[in-house]
Amino acid sequence: MIAAEFRHISKRYGRLAVLQDVNLSVEAGSFTVLYGPPACGKSVLVRLLTGLEQPDSGQILLRGEEATHLPPGERNIGYVPQSFALYPHYNVFDNIAYPLRLSRMPKAQVEPIVQRAAAMLKIEPLLTKTPDQLSGGEKQRVAIARGIVKETEIFVLDDPLTGLDFKLREQLIDDLKQMQESLGVTFIYTTSDAIEALMLAENVAILDQGRILESGPLETLYWQPQRAQTLALLGFPQVNFLDGRLEEEAGGLWCQTPLFRFPVQLEGDGQASHPQAVRAAVRPQDLLLDGPNGEGVLTCPAQVLLREDLGGEMIVYLEAQGIPLTTVVRHENAHLVAEDRVTLAVAPESLFLFDQEGARLGRGAPR
Amino acid sequence: MSEIRLEKLRKEFDDLVAVRDISITFPSATVTCLLGPSGCGKTTLLRMIAGLERPTSGEVYFGGQRVTHLPPRKRNIGMVFQYPVVYRGISVYRNIELPLLEEKISRQERQRRIEQVAALLGLEDSLGKEVSQLDNGTRQKVAVARAVARQPRIILFDEPITNVDVNAKFQLKRAFKELSRELEQTILYVTHDQTEAMTLADQIALMQKGEIVQRDAPRALYNRPNDVFGGWFLGNPGMNFFQQELVDGPGGPELRSPLFPGPLTVEGGQPGTRITLGIRPEHVRLSPEPSPGGVAGQILRRAIVVGGQYLCTVEVEGLRFKAKVAPAVGHVLKPGASVWVTCPLEWIALFQPDGHRMDARLVAGEKIR
Repeated sequence: MIAAEFRHISKRYGRLAVLQDVNLSVEAGSFTVLYGPPACGKSVLVRLLTGLEQPDSGQILLRGEEATHLPPGERNIGYVPQSFALYPHYNVFDNIAYPLRLSRMPKAQVEPIVQRAAAMLKIEPLLTKTPDQLSGGEKQRVAIARGIVKETEIFVLDDPLTGLDFKLREQLIDDLKQMQESLGVTFIYTTSDAIEALMLAENVAILDQGRILESGPLETLYWQPQRAQTLALLGFPQVNFLDGRLEEEAGGLWCQTPLFRFPVQLEGDGQASHPQAVRAAVRPQDLLLDGPNGEGVLTCPAQVLLREDLGGEMIVYLEAQGIPLTTVVRHENAHLVAEDRVTLAVAPESLFLFDQEGARLGRGAPR
Repeated sequence: MSEIRLEKLRKEFDDLVAVRDISITFPSATVTCLLGPSGCGKTTLLRMIAGLERPTSGEVYFGGQRVTHLPPRKRNIGMVFQYPVVYRGISVYRNIELPLLEEKISRQERQRRIEQVAALLGLEDSLGKEVSQLDNGTRQKVAVARAVARQPRIILFDEPITNVDVNAKFQLKRAFKELSRELEQTILYVTHDQTEAMTLADQIALMQKGEIVQRDAPRALYNRPNDVFGGWFLGNPGMNFFQQELVDGPGGPELRSPLFPGPLTVEGGQPGTRITLGIRPEHVRLSPEPSPGGVAGQILRRAIVVGGQYLCTVEVEGLRFKAKVAPAVGHVLKPGASVWVTCPLEWIALFQPDGHRMDARLVAGEKIR
């Protein structure tokens, strides 16, 4: 069942096109993340869903029914907005209870629901306080609580965790995921944080400059991205890109980059003009320090610039012939980067190949 | 000498104790990061050391000199704040030079210092530029250069890279690592970002509720937290915790947990007490095949995290916890799949009921060896 659907949605602010022909289906009971860099249009898209703004063209469906011009109050969606405003004259309890009382819920039912939401957001000690007595992070949590108490099955959360304490974010990510799963409700969640998107999304839609680049199950988009931008956005640390040239030699196709040359396996219709300028990409975890040796493995010497210790793993920033590269090692392998000069190894199959527009052409071929 | 010594330093605001009687010495020429969650008192502590906040009680000494009531400009310190503090309308060179004019040094010496610090921070190409032409990250580098060029005995940083873009963060971290290698000052660096602290510090002073709960080198703190808070706060995510009752056993105090195939003897434990076991997600081993010392469990859910690793939520007989595994391992362990879970004894931390680390040893019975 489809909980929400966008059909050919477009929106402009003056001359600025913030959404351009957006099409997206959100499955009921899924955790769907709208992910993209700041100002990609994701917040506008969810505001259209809540009815707080209207599209210039296109259709919005909720629960299978036409809802494009339905007033916000009739859409029955729980909403945590990006810039929330708490009611300054109500205390925290009453702020959270507000949407419940608005729907005329009996008093006896309101209290346990508010308590449960407060417990989840760890704001129980604040229930009697007023917004002016709260810190920024506390206000944010109250806003989230207020958004999720609504008795409905569709929730929209617009970048709810931005700016919060790192540990608190970690816990809330866990709690939100758990809540969504155990209640079986639909969460539509926006963020521009790669880590959040990866942790939360069951399905993800990548937005860039008002368009959806790719959408689908997270696992599919992560392991088999069809666009360079998807690969760039969906991953942490960020993927390594190399400029290259696709060439033919002795009946086979090769990609020449400043660091190495590798055989190419085309995908799709197997056609690609050559020579052409291309972009090769390899994920940090596929740049190995204790690489496999042998036939076909690509190597290049590199210089360590900085080792960032995350505790369980280390992000290593390197440079090879002036090109910045990043790799990750689990901490048990930290000894592999003890020296500043290292040799990186890559299996050709780990390399993705994209054309200059960012469309996927193929991968490196094993020998 | 530029060591910083604090004696029962305390700060109260109305009914809140922000800093609770801290006595500690930060040795000369070391970089110490004050790390902790928001509200732990780290910024208040730094501000008292800087002279920007008056202590409620207690003393601050720099190299033996009592500075507790001296204003910041009389303390011979450099400070870098969250937002770049630079003079507009003048060049980078001049920005760095101005504080040096108060020092009694020659023009050549000034120039030498400016060029040296600019090289260290990658500012050589920006020296002639006016600061409003620069981006935030570069402006922050100028702020650091200003603080460093004066060669004060102590430099204090208050979350200097929190408000800087990703590229600048990288450059500043790199520059800071270079700087701390070259400099002989005593540096205190406040951050809530554990990665920053783990990467930049010689020592981390972990703070909670106005107190320094542990001070150690980053890896030592990470591997041997003194209490449950340290185990929880450090790590992405932090430690998994399990409560277990100790009972009398044939070899001594014993615990039986669904995490292990057999009982474990806890040498140094007390039967009848409820202790806490902690293990970091990256140390929990998962495999689709049975392994010795392991138990059967199930994957509830998983998510891709840093470097393509999988953070799996695992369930073993009602106990839920997290394991962080390599991409190849996690890829085959789908939600709902059965899995074999091993918690290696060498990575298990033991904590007393009050949360402090236990001086105890886990010994395996036959089934686990």
